[in-house]
Amino acid sequence: MRKSLIVLPAWNEAEALPSTIEKLQALPDEYELLVVDDGSTDDTPHIARNLIRRSRLPLHVVSLSSNSGIGAAVQTGYLFAVRQNRFDYVIQFDADGQHDASYIPTLVSTCEARGLDLCVGSRFSAGISEGFQSTWLRRLGIRFFARLISLLTGADVTDPTSGFRCAGVHAWRAFAERYPDDYPEPESLFWCARNGLKIGEVPVQMFSRQGGVSSIRSLRTAYYMVKVTLAILIDRFRPLERMDV
Amino acid sequence: MTAETLMLAGGVGAFAVTFYWVRSRQLREKYAVVWMTVASALLLMGVFPQVVMRLAEATRMAYSSMVLFLSLGVIYVFSMSVSLSLTRSRRSSVKLMQDLALTRYELDSLRERLALLEERVSGQ
Repeated sequence: MRKSLIVLPAWNEAEALPSTIEKLQALPDEYELLVVDDGSTDDTPHIARNLIRRSRLPLHVVSLSSNSGIGAAVQTGYLFAVRQNRFDYVIQFDADGQHDASYIPTLVSTCEARGLDLCVGSRFSAGISEGFQSTWLRRLGIRFFARLISLLTGADVTDPTSGFRCAGVHAWRAFAERYPDDYPEPESLFWCARNGLKIGEVPVQMFSRQGGVSSIRSLRTAYYMVKVTLAILIDRFRPLERMDV
Repeated sequence: MTAETLMLAGGVGAFAVTFYWVRSRQLREKYAVVWMTVASALLLMGVFPQVVMRLAEATRMAYSSMVLFLSLGVIYVFSMSVSLSLTRSRRSSVKLMQDLALTRYELDSLRERLALLEERVSGQ
């Protein structure tokens, strides 16, 4: 049977985590859940461990000893998959309740049917006009990154900042070795597209966060734009690591 | 106070501070060598101000501009080396934290399985 791991990076998500795990219980048995507690200072690790007994699907909890950023937390999930060596797909899913669990089987089946290495859940792809689509300023930034990545790689992407994605074995093994530190989604997407991994999108609807604090806040938005653009442009000059050869 | 006296005082101060940090093992000798070199350069410029003057003349710069240029050069080199060190240590500390977290998870899982096995054995 195909096995998939759902990685939930969680930093101070005590409020939203129980309902997020609850919503994931409707998924079929082929899924396992992994909460990566990113050095939370609230009750997140305690709550996550308590949820293990209540979860129908196998739930694992890994705790980083101090806050290391979203990139390191997600990469811990990919490293977990490498160590366990029994998963076909690794899905990144927000612990704050922004993502809709019912799209997960679609992401995985699209990966499988189209032979994708990375399938991104997109808020702006054709077919979805409802749901939470972020502020206009962020949408402008998202559009900018989408254009930049399309221009540099020829890949057709509409939501490069989406943290709702499904990685096939080539992608998640590569991510376990290298994954950007902070604001990793556009950069890792660019890396995949540039290095010959097949990427695609599935239209999804998202919700506003159910609790906790976003890792991208007001003043940091400007830093985010500059940092990610710089990272993408510099990555363009790194030697290729063709994954499709 | 002249610029030479300032440099002399700066050099002596830099020597003293470096010596203090190395003695209390808060600064590695590896870095102390570089800071001692900076302190020596300051002392040298304080005792022999004509060195900087000649350097300024040779590059057709004003004395003050030359001092500023040299200072900025030192600051740039040190700041860059600190940034490089921080990047490397951040990478290794994240890797260590990830390894620790995953190993702790595996250890806890093994402990749970062992406890279950012990329970079964003692029940038989």
